[in-house]
Amino acid sequence: MTVIARRLAGHLARGIVMILVVATISFFIVRNIPGDPVAARYQKLLEQGMSPEAAERATAVMYGFLPQGSMWEQYVDYMTGLFRLDLGVSVTHPGSPVTSVLLGAAKWTVLPVLAGTLLSFLVGVIMGVYAAIKRSGKLGDFLAVSGSLLHGVPQYVLALLMGAIFTTLIPILPQGGTADILYEPGFNAGYIGSLIEHATLPVVTYALASYGGWILAMKSSVVTVLGDDFILAAELRGMKRTIVFRYVARNAILPLFTILALSLGLLFGGAIFIEKIFNYPGLGFLLIDSVVNRDYALMGGAFLLITAAIIVANILADLFYSVIDPRVRSGEEVSA
Amino acid sequence: MPGQAPGVRIDGLTVVYKTPAGELPAVRDVSLTLEPGSITGIVGESGSGKSTLALSLLNAVQPPGRIAAGSVHVDGLGDVAGLRGEELRRARGKHVGYVFQAAQNSLNPLKTVGKQVLDLGRSHGVDDLRGLIRDARELLGRMGLDGARVLDSHQHELSGGMRQRVGIMLALVLNAHLVVLDEPTTALDMITQANILRIIREVHAERGLTTLVITHDIGVVAEVADRLAVMYGGRLVEQGPTRQVLGDPRHPYTKGLIRAIPRLTGDISEARALPGRPPTLATVPERGCVFRERCELRMDVCDTDDPAAVEHGDRIVACHAVKVREHA
Amino acid sequence: MSSAILETTGTAATMRRNFWRGVWRVMRRKPSRLFGAVILLGFVFMGVFGPMFYPEVLPRDTSKLYAPMSAEHWFGTDGQGRDVLAQVITGSRYVLLSALVTAVITVVLGTAIGLFSGFKRGRWDTVLMRLTDMKLTIPGLPLLLVLSTVWSFGSALEMGLLLGLLGWGGVARAVRSQTLSLRERGFIEAARGLGLSTSHIVGKELLPSMAPYIAMNMLIAVTGAVYAQVGLFFLGVLPYEADNWGVMLNLSVFGGGALTTTAALPYMLAPLLAILLLTLAIVLVVDAMDEIFNPRLREE
Repeated sequence: MTVIARRLAGHLARGIVMILVVATISFFIVRNIPGDPVAARYQKLLEQGMSPEAAERATAVMYGFLPQGSMWEQYVDYMTGLFRLDLGVSVTHPGSPVTSVLLGAAKWTVLPVLAGTLLSFLVGVIMGVYAAIKRSGKLGDFLAVSGSLLHGVPQYVLALLMGAIFTTLIPILPQGGTADILYEPGFNAGYIGSLIEHATLPVVTYALASYGGWILAMKSSVVTVLGDDFILAAELRGMKRTIVFRYVARNAILPLFTILALSLGLLFGGAIFIEKIFNYPGLGFLLIDSVVNRDYALMGGAFLLITAAIIVANILADLFYSVIDPRVRSGEEVSA
Repeated sequence: MPGQAPGVRIDGLTVVYKTPAGELPAVRDVSLTLEPGSITGIVGESGSGKSTLALSLLNAVQPPGRIAAGSVHVDGLGDVAGLRGEELRRARGKHVGYVFQAAQNSLNPLKTVGKQVLDLGRSHGVDDLRGLIRDARELLGRMGLDGARVLDSHQHELSGGMRQRVGIMLALVLNAHLVVLDEPTTALDMITQANILRIIREVHAERGLTTLVITHDIGVVAEVADRLAVMYGGRLVEQGPTRQVLGDPRHPYTKGLIRAIPRLTGDISEARALPGRPPTLATVPERGCVFRERCELRMDVCDTDDPAAVEHGDRIVACHAVKVREHA
Repeated sequence: MSSAILETTGTAATMRRNFWRGVWRVMRRKPSRLFGAVILLGFVFMGVFGPMFYPEVLPRDTSKLYAPMSAEHWFGTDGQGRDVLAQVITGSRYVLLSALVTAVITVVLGTAIGLFSGFKRGRWDTVLMRLTDMKLTIPGLPLLLVLSTVWSFGSALEMGLLLGLLGWGGVARAVRSQTLSLRERGFIEAARGLGLSTSHIVGKELLPSMAPYIAMNMLIAVTGAVYAQVGLFFLGVLPYEADNWGVMLNLSVFGGGALTTTAALPYMLAPLLAILLLTLAIVLVVDAMDEIFNPRLREE
């Protein structure tokens, strides 16, 4: 058990370091922007008649650190703010703290990514088994090639094509937005129905974009396991077909769970193009917006959150794998 | 169901593998009888076809290989080569046990040994699964292991010797009376080897089995087998009682093999290796004696005619030179 | 591959001839691969010579805004009446130029770092690999978005440079693993034993056998780079370079409403098709290279 605990501690430490590094990078990017928006803001507030202290406080609130003081002081201020989960105030959403804006947008990213990942995982894994078993035939070949092609197409190309086909050429799905504005948000049939309708394209597009990876990974894993000695051994011991199949399936899917955990790291940042194209106000959309509008506090916060998700997912994936695979669990091996 | 040790009669067995160059024989026209209750050892270098022969006893030659001719008759089962589907699956494990090499990972790495025994029981319609586990534990104990602990272990927690014993247990737990062991001592240290061989002998006697041991190590055969068969290039070149064949080898290949073994006493330079290399699937000659390239007794007829297996009492030898000498 | 140590039979020339014969055979067996190579060459041709066929500033026909596909305008026109196909062709130069820059940087940086890492091993290796890992953790697209606020890397060279700096990881890993495996197989020790200098070992022994892997990884990195640059322009975070494919996508969707009405659809589809064809070609060529250099995978 201590082996795992030690490894986990190592990962946690590395993860925290990563987050700090990313936060620092964000900080320096903002500070080094030509024209120094922080100081500019401070100046403007002074001109508007604010007292220096008030202006200072206002700028600090907005950017997360004081405009005066040495770089180091500002950095410390920024970092302490981070620990208090205070990321500043958003310029484009006047008055709202960055944290709440981010939280509000997060759910619209999580939905397509989570649903899309699970959908593509399920379909991809099942198809992957077929592709492996029938790999010498036409069907298996087709599955592998189509998976490969889909895998190679970037997310935005798929999104644009899906959008073109299903909203323009054959207008059966809505263009964008989360739900029809006609409906009152809440637990009513109209709203929920519209929600589902509007979520279809983002979810399906994300699923299509991820599917290729799953089918290829599963096929390769199944092919590897099929070649393993213990499968032949099971057959030679007269094990029932269903049992042998289960042996193959469970052993093959094991490495894919790690990949699944890792892909959940894209929970916050994986659907940027989809959100933009389908007008879905998730974190990606927010990030783009903040970049275009130079809302640095929001931008830094979104970037941080997106990266944090990846780091956490990495840690969880490793932890998960050490629990699931008995070989890793015991941490030791007895040699002949 | 065969009560006790079944006899096995392999008749003119030919196994081919499909290659880009056509179907090439890995085993050619092999005839071998395993007497009920005997331990037979098949000796051969890698590529001699011995493992393929062993797999044929369970009709388990993997594609692109297949049994092209001949029969494998097992008492109580009929011709194994003719069995298919459910019948074949049921025969495997229950009537014929197969033991893998220790080096191979013949167990599911994700499951404990005990769970796999249960899977085995369920596959063969065993009603009393608890009893099966008890038998497994006893078998393991009989072989010197802590049965309960081993049943709760995963493959990677067991040493090579332990894995080999688990393999033997799995082959016997359903009360099969015909057991095939493929290289049971390879990749094990000397002491464990000796232990395993002792276990094989004892278990064979206790349970009244018919055993077939495949190996490249003559020492193993000498220790364990009643009868010895020598394979080369897919043919059976010599068979006979172990002591006799080792003491008085007739076939030039057998002679060469024994001569190559250095003795503990005497002059070490007396040990001479066979010149040349054994043939592979692709280089086995189509006609004539397989061994002629390396044979010191080579004659003209060896280039054109495949030597037939001739009986000389207890011994069966396939060699033109021997035949000529015997009839002289 | 020819090298002082690996050469056993025949002269280098015969080996090279046999090699190309083998390549031809592989190409012929699956004509799709030949197809891929042809398309790739076609794009290169288009990038180098295409813009020469058109004037600096494309003619605008204000009477034909978002015109449908016709014989005159194969993919219609854009919001200012300019021919779409012409824009795709003139825009290919940007894409290919920056792809070239990315390719060069990934190869140079990746190979250097990979070799260094594999050669020296020890602490340097661990540090460099941790660095590569870290780089992989930071998400590419968000990083590019954030960077666009400090540096407008709109020109082909700058874009290629940046993407190259971000994308050498794959090549580095491949080169490192190849170096390590060659080291394991004793090539490096044997060469040292023969008294060969380090630069000779690297230049004549290691690099030739690694060349195919480097080439394949480079092409894969290039595909990623092409997607990235088009995507960035599409999102509208970089200043316009008029005939850029990504800008075309942006304008067609957000300016011409390609997702609402069918008018601007050809305007959107043209660059999309161009991207797909280009990456398809690269995938096919990589696939062919894979089969040529990995005889184990060759299907019979």
